[in-house]
Amino acid sequence: MSSRRAFMRSGAMALFATGIAGGIPAFITRAAAAGMPPAPYKKNKVLVCIFQRGAMDGLMAVTPFTDMELKKARPTLFMDPTNGAGKLFDLDGQFGLHPSFASLQPFFADKRLAIAHGVGSPNTTRSHFDAQDYMESGTPFSKSTSSGWLNRAVGLMGHDASPFRAVSITGALPRSLYGSQEALAISNLADFALQTKGNPIAANLTAGSFEELYEQTSNRLLNRAGKESFEALKMLNVNDIKNYQPVAGVVYPNSPLGNSLKQIAVLIKMNIGLEVAFAESGGWDTHFNQGTLNGVFARNVRDFSDSIAAFWNDMSGYQDGVTVMTMTEFGRTVAQNGTGGTDHGRASCSFILGNDVQGGKVYQQIGSLAKDQLEDQRDLPVTTDFRSVFSGVANKHLNINNNGILFPKWEGKALEIIR
Amino acid sequence: MKLAKGILFCLAITATFGFSSLVDDPIPFKKFGYTPQQAAARLLDRFSFGAKPGQVEAVVSMGLENWLEQQFAAKQPNIALEKRLSNFKSLLLSNDTIVNTYLNAGQVIRLATRKGIINRDSIKGDPKEYREQVRVIMEQEGYKPILELHRELVNQKVLSAAYSNNQLQEVLTDFWFNHFNVSVTKNQCQQYVYTYERDAIRPNVMGKFKDLLLATAQHPAMLEYLDNASSVSIKNQPRANMAAPRNARGLNENYAREVMELHTLGVDGGYTQADVTTVAKALTGWTVMPLAKDAPARNLLERLNPTQLERRGFVLKGDFLFRADQHDNEPKTILNKNFPANGGYQEGIDVLTMLAEHPSTAKFICTKLATRFVSDTPSASLIKNMVKTFQSTDGDIKAVLRTMVYDPTFWKKSVSHEKVKSPFEMVISAVRATNAQVIQPFQLFNWCTKMGQRFYYYQAPTGFPDRASNWINTGALLNRMNFGLAFASQKIPGVRMDLAALNNYHEPESAIDALTVYSNILLPQRDHAANIKRLIPLVNDDAVEEKISKAATVDKTAEQMTLDKGTKNMLSQVVGIIIGSPEFQRK
Repeated sequence: MSSRRAFMRSGAMALFATGIAGGIPAFITRAAAAGMPPAPYKKNKVLVCIFQRGAMDGLMAVTPFTDMELKKARPTLFMDPTNGAGKLFDLDGQFGLHPSFASLQPFFADKRLAIAHGVGSPNTTRSHFDAQDYMESGTPFSKSTSSGWLNRAVGLMGHDASPFRAVSITGALPRSLYGSQEALAISNLADFALQTKGNPIAANLTAGSFEELYEQTSNRLLNRAGKESFEALKMLNVNDIKNYQPVAGVVYPNSPLGNSLKQIAVLIKMNIGLEVAFAESGGWDTHFNQGTLNGVFARNVRDFSDSIAAFWNDMSGYQDGVTVMTMTEFGRTVAQNGTGGTDHGRASCSFILGNDVQGGKVYQQIGSLAKDQLEDQRDLPVTTDFRSVFSGVANKHLNINNNGILFPKWEGKALEIIR
Repeated sequence: MKLAKGILFCLAITATFGFSSLVDDPIPFKKFGYTPQQAAARLLDRFSFGAKPGQVEAVVSMGLENWLEQQFAAKQPNIALEKRLSNFKSLLLSNDTIVNTYLNAGQVIRLATRKGIINRDSIKGDPKEYREQVRVIMEQEGYKPILELHRELVNQKVLSAAYSNNQLQEVLTDFWFNHFNVSVTKNQCQQYVYTYERDAIRPNVMGKFKDLLLATAQHPAMLEYLDNASSVSIKNQPRANMAAPRNARGLNENYAREVMELHTLGVDGGYTQADVTTVAKALTGWTVMPLAKDAPARNLLERLNPTQLERRGFVLKGDFLFRADQHDNEPKTILNKNFPANGGYQEGIDVLTMLAEHPSTAKFICTKLATRFVSDTPSASLIKNMVKTFQSTDGDIKAVLRTMVYDPTFWKKSVSHEKVKSPFEMVISAVRATNAQVIQPFQLFNWCTKMGQRFYYYQAPTGFPDRASNWINTGALLNRMNFGLAFASQKIPGVRMDLAALNNYHEPESAIDALTVYSNILLPQRDHAANIKRLIPLVNDDAVEEKISKAATVDKTAEQMTLDKGTKNMLSQVVGIIIGSPEFQRK
């Protein structure tokens, strides 16, 4: 820590000059000149969480196609691997992946992608707001938990306090990252700079002035945060972000999720201490006309799948340290409704991608979808608590071993999903 | 500063006088070495959204005690603010009109279904086309998008905070809204958020705590936000053998839990899980009058006249509805107090009153107030004195605040300027300090969002944590600096100011001079010597102005730049640095 600080603090004014001139990040050239390792942080594991807001229809994403009850309940929405409106990828003879997952399916085949199905919360609320709130706080029966589970995860890791330790590529901080650990919410990394365009002398003057002022303030918090802000500024070269080139052949979808994951890739490659990243994917509240092979749902899945696949391929060389986990607040009704869609239900599914994931498998205890076997006679019952999945990933991938703090008042078992 | 003094004094003597202080002793700032000016600056820091130029002198002239009482009375005319708000369409609307004008997502879907835009046969549908169809239908039928409502909600808050002469009322509206937080992120409650602030919060911010609690408890926004509106007694449900309906309903404990944990007793206030469940039962039937024109229950209820309603034990108060048929009639025990069977509507009132009067509540509320107005870690003796007042005045908020200001611990040097402004406070204080004209308030909301405070959108019922560490982190701080720069260089659309006017168009002789003069204007009565000294080597470059001016002329516009432009640049640079500086983040 101390060496990093010392190294970061040298030559503030000069740094801003290089920052404006562009090119190679200043801290890398200076570090190289000083014979220091270029990365100021040791390479930590990174967990990338994607929240699918709106409640993804898990039964259409990963369909238990052998259950004829489902076909009965969804006369115009049902698909299977052989016929029907669309053709699923047969995963294991029982479950089929929606055809729009074409870009992710190979990762399931080579056993790096796992799917947990029947996942949800013990709290039976079918309100998006409440269910997201409970899932993100990690306490399904307590609204007043002030922190989010990912913020607690960051605290439990207890690593060096990089300003980029927890980053959400969103306009406002998500509930998952509320809490006492520093977390950064930013919708566009290129905005992470002092905005003094077109006037280099004024820019240098301003940056220098701010740094001086924050260095001497008697308020310890402002002093520390100020110091860290200027270090962070020097670490993150905006030009590198603007000119970022993914690995050859990788094309991110030009969508909110694609852009978010691309920015997360930049942060990971910069080695600046990222440990938890958060992104969102929207449009899953498919009450009407969700479609099958084509339509709203298929479009969403394609974007979702292509974004994750692009990210993963772009992570070439970094994949060992990265795990991607997806989550959604609940699933949707087993039966289709009167408007070609599905309504708010209970369990859905979650995707986990990583080199140490025990993939190629659907983790599930899903029973018959006959009406009398369903929750409230309408919904896929929750057979796996979402905390089992989250803690399974956090315990192994992030090496966190205190589930009592991660998920207070929960005594369930973590899902063995990562080696 | 000296130059402005004469004018300011003139302004000050036109201020309203004639408040007889309710406390005999003066506010005890002298003992702690404050000059009246410094003490006035401190009061303005804590009880307003920041001093306007000259306001410190004005407060000193009228007397600190009188200023405080004037703020407690909250009766200052607000002609300028009212004019700014006069174009707003939603500010005077009732919940009924809002619900039937600004449709939420569910209503839009029902409308679209009714109009045949969505139908069971059309499996293929283009979302863009659908959205356009919905837009047209809504326009034809006279409906408005709910985003317009949100925009006005946000804009009125910004303008009221910046321009209201009843500053303390606005500060407390911010405080109590956050204490009794609701959020537009929840569909069911989003239409009610503005009337919640207008009708339940603002009129009660300086009254009795109990009234505030009851007003929030019965407002549709809170009833929906914490789900009490859908909490019904299971016992009274006659259809036990039927398949669970789509929204299977039963007891919902959300509000009952949070009203104790967050609104009154505090988490360690001495209640049990059994108390939570029983409070929830006592509040069953507390719901919202169905307002949507197409809600079946609305017709049903409208057919009943008041006497018929009363005979059935129903209570209709504004848009609050007590449904006796959904209320749990069993006898109950809450916090060791017995409530006999068939308590009906009054039972809920009695329970909430008991919570408001509980000693844990006095302590919890006073601690929260002291945390907001004094320091993140208020002293035990201050809390004790405030609690005493809370209990002896039936929870009179004004009296509690008065005790706080007259308490010596309020004036300890160790707590002066120790509070960090929230992003909203920071932004509004910049507007006030520069006499800025805000034409597009939403722009300032966007900046607050970047700095971590997307007000009205905070999801958790806890409200934003009132701790410096919540606001100050790398990204947020950088955005505070950027805000200062963008604001002072007039790069924020629809936010204008005349920085030279603040110094009566006296051109500063140098950057250092500008720094000194404007530090004193923007942050009156603080010690800027150390700051300025530290910045001298950076700013005191003879060539700097010329350089800046030159750099400015390198602009692609080839027109001749005058020195005027250079000075203007320098001024906005200096003011931007002051607003982004650590000192400006503190209050």
